[in-house]
Amino acid sequence: MILLEINNRVVEETLTVKIKNAQAKLKNESIDITVADFDGVLYHISNINGDKTKIRTSISLKFYKQLQEHGADELLKREYGPYLVAPEPGYNVSVLLDLENIPENWQEYVKKLGLLKRNCFASVFEKYFDFQERGDEGQKRAVIPYRDDETMYVEAKSDRVTVVFSTRFRDEDDVVIGKVFMQEFREGLRASHTAPPVLFSHREPPIELRDTNATVDNNVGYVTFVLFPRHTARNTRDNTINLIHMFRHYLHYHIKCSKAYIHSRMRAKTSDFLKVLNRARPENKSTDKKTISGRTFIRRD
Amino acid sequence: MDGKLPACVIDVGTGYTKLGFADNKEPQFIIPSAIAIKETAKVGDTTSRRLNKGVEDLDFFIGDEAFDATGYSVKYPVRHGLVEDWDLMEKFLEQCIFKYLRAEPEDHYFLLTEPPLNTPENREYLAEIMFESFNVPGLYIAVQAVLALAASWTNINVEDRCLTGVVIDSGDGVTHVIPVAEGYVIGSCIKHIPIAGRNITYFIQSLLREREIGIPPEQSLETAKAIKEKYCYICPDIAKEFAKYEADPGKWIKKYEGINSVTKQPFTVDVGYERFLGPEIFFHPEFANPDFTTPISQIVDDMIQNCPIDVRRPLYNNIVLSGGSTMFKDFSRRLQRDIKKTVDARLKLSETLGGGKLTPKPIDVNVISHHMQRYAVWFGGSMLAGMVCWKHRKM
Amino acid sequence: MSATLKPYLTAVRHTLTAAMCLENFCSQVVERHNKPEVEVRTSKELLLTPVVISRNEKEKVLIESSINSIRISIAVKQADEIEKILCKKFMRFMMMRAENFIVLRRKPIEGYDISFLITNFHTEQMYKHKLVDFVIHFMEEIDKEISEMKLAMNARARIVSEEFLKHF
Repeated sequence: MILLEINNRVVEETLTVKIKNAQAKLKNESIDITVADFDGVLYHISNINGDKTKIRTSISLKFYKQLQEHGADELLKREYGPYLVAPEPGYNVSVLLDLENIPENWQEYVKKLGLLKRNCFASVFEKYFDFQERGDEGQKRAVIPYRDDETMYVEAKSDRVTVVFSTRFRDEDDVVIGKVFMQEFREGLRASHTAPPVLFSHREPPIELRDTNATVDNNVGYVTFVLFPRHTARNTRDNTINLIHMFRHYLHYHIKCSKAYIHSRMRAKTSDFLKVLNRARPENKSTDKKTISGRTFIRRD
Repeated sequence: MDGKLPACVIDVGTGYTKLGFADNKEPQFIIPSAIAIKETAKVGDTTSRRLNKGVEDLDFFIGDEAFDATGYSVKYPVRHGLVEDWDLMEKFLEQCIFKYLRAEPEDHYFLLTEPPLNTPENREYLAEIMFESFNVPGLYIAVQAVLALAASWTNINVEDRCLTGVVIDSGDGVTHVIPVAEGYVIGSCIKHIPIAGRNITYFIQSLLREREIGIPPEQSLETAKAIKEKYCYICPDIAKEFAKYEADPGKWIKKYEGINSVTKQPFTVDVGYERFLGPEIFFHPEFANPDFTTPISQIVDDMIQNCPIDVRRPLYNNIVLSGGSTMFKDFSRRLQRDIKKTVDARLKLSETLGGGKLTPKPIDVNVISHHMQRYAVWFGGSMLAGMVCWKHRKM
Repeated sequence: MSATLKPYLTAVRHTLTAAMCLENFCSQVVERHNKPEVEVRTSKELLLTPVVISRNEKEKVLIESSINSIRISIAVKQADEIEKILCKKFMRFMMMRAENFIVLRRKPIEGYDISFLITNFHTEQMYKHKLVDFVIHFMEEIDKEISEMKLAMNARARIVSEEFLKHF
């Protein structure tokens, strides 16, 4: 697995099982599951008022308020329309699945529910992609604090949309590994001509953000994606959003995988060193040989 | 982000891995502990052979997907409860976290499990992976048997909850009987029984083979397994149970319906005595295994008698079942009755030997059965990880 | 093998062979104790003058010997940040497994990356020249391994970033 998946498996599988059971006319069991997703997102799947046929999937995002400013509500209305219900207390969005009235194309619908988080994120991108399309330059920059100490900035110009991620490395060593990765991202244009240019700065925020209160810290990196109209066009924007909203996790996932890779190299080398060291021991002079059935084989000279 | 997000609970067993988030009743995923990797034809030992220059090490599948992948070879990183291949284990966890749980490991606490008598080295290696590769903020490695004990707390009053008891953990391959005193496993007294789920399936299969001819041979194992899971139960007395079946076969004999996977024709199987004979091999192992004849109740009793004298009473008092093969109906009642019988006989004997001058205090035998039995270990972990105290303490 | 590596390793090999001349020696301070004198340093008379063999500023070997034990500390080449953390990780990884390595010291001497402690008991149970071989093998391999790991990391980073950008 190189690219991370964007849908939530737990949500999809849980709901699929529910629907299949309902279709097989099995007794509906009550449900109450809380699961997490990347970026501190929480899903809660439960029954409404103890009615086992009504399954409510709720999502909570810490930064939903900021997303709302950028039209998250409208986008969700477009995507989920009639299934939206009043949000559960403590959560931001709730979507209903009625087992007594299963939609015809339920597979598609369940898939959509698995993309709840992605769709929440999409609103801000779509809005700024639209600004760019219309050539609307005067808009304020969007600031989305997508994690506790990591922020995303989106800004539209008439010919481009810039997306800046700030990301924090918990571990000193990760900073170094992260820098190696970012170096390669910056040169990624060589690989693909359709890719957006990527800029990277360690510690200091890029010039556009100099006037904001962006953090300056040794463990912080800033990554800028410059998206051109070819990325924000109607037919490509979904793909662009799918990729870019997972970027932070993609980077951190691969930093972790490469540490795992280093570990397996070190295991191999360590056992190699041990072998050399053990050569220094005089060999055990055990001459008793075993037959295949386990009996000891004694040589009579 | 500490505190608000639930902890991840991963129980990697020999056969299946149970994973999910704390505070839930059931694990979110139950996947085979299998990993499918591409094997190269290079020479050298396995560890150095796997090294590569690119990202080939990300090309692998775990769980059910491992069996579907063609051109890969399927490996099991865990054998007999112990991790054998740490390279594979690290990869396995990689996908557990990023693909299945979808958790950024830096944001969640983790609770992993280990078998009783795990070596300190193995525990260190696991911690090394979790802290160094995944940067987890906190980690707790719990002993499976202790978690199974904790899982039984659902039916017990808060003040009676204790971590002393016997855990009977029966999965597919082997059954363990593990004494735990105050949260610590009494390692020297652990007993293993070579009778578990798979043996029951084989036994039912052999019973069916003698009688039923309609089962396609290649499906006989899965049919036996399905029958075991659906119809089997434990009876109080075999002779009486046979009589019951004789008297009213219509009431007791069930019909199992299956579909031939090749011809798609349905077939039916009469399910008769194997309904109670299958699981009976726990109590009469000689039915299935001529080399092993000690019934489970006697093994539990012997094991408790081997334990330090001061914990024997609490051990009898709290015998907890865990694992899928303990799910048969009335398993706990039969076990409790059989153990009680042996214990009472022993007390009686000591009373007569003492000339009737001393009457020993009767011993309470309690076998506890609860809803979470199948995933008892995972559920115990989920409960423990969900407790408040855990959230504020860094392990 | 670059021009300076060979003489460097030869010098280390000869020095080690000469220095690894150990005999059983009981503690002069505590009765019935037997401690590596190079570690406890109870008496000046039991210690020999330490030797430093250095290839350049960063790569050097410190050999301290005493009557019953010898300590070898190695500073490994670290050209840049990434080599530095790889070296740090690798050395820590090995020292976590010091139990298996018998002659490995659990902590390096200050200023060095890894230390070995060989006592007379080790030289009695193992072949001396093979022990020297091990140290030399280690020094040869470690540089190679670290630079290979670095290359592999860069390759990974490139593939990973290209893979991501290719999907746009």
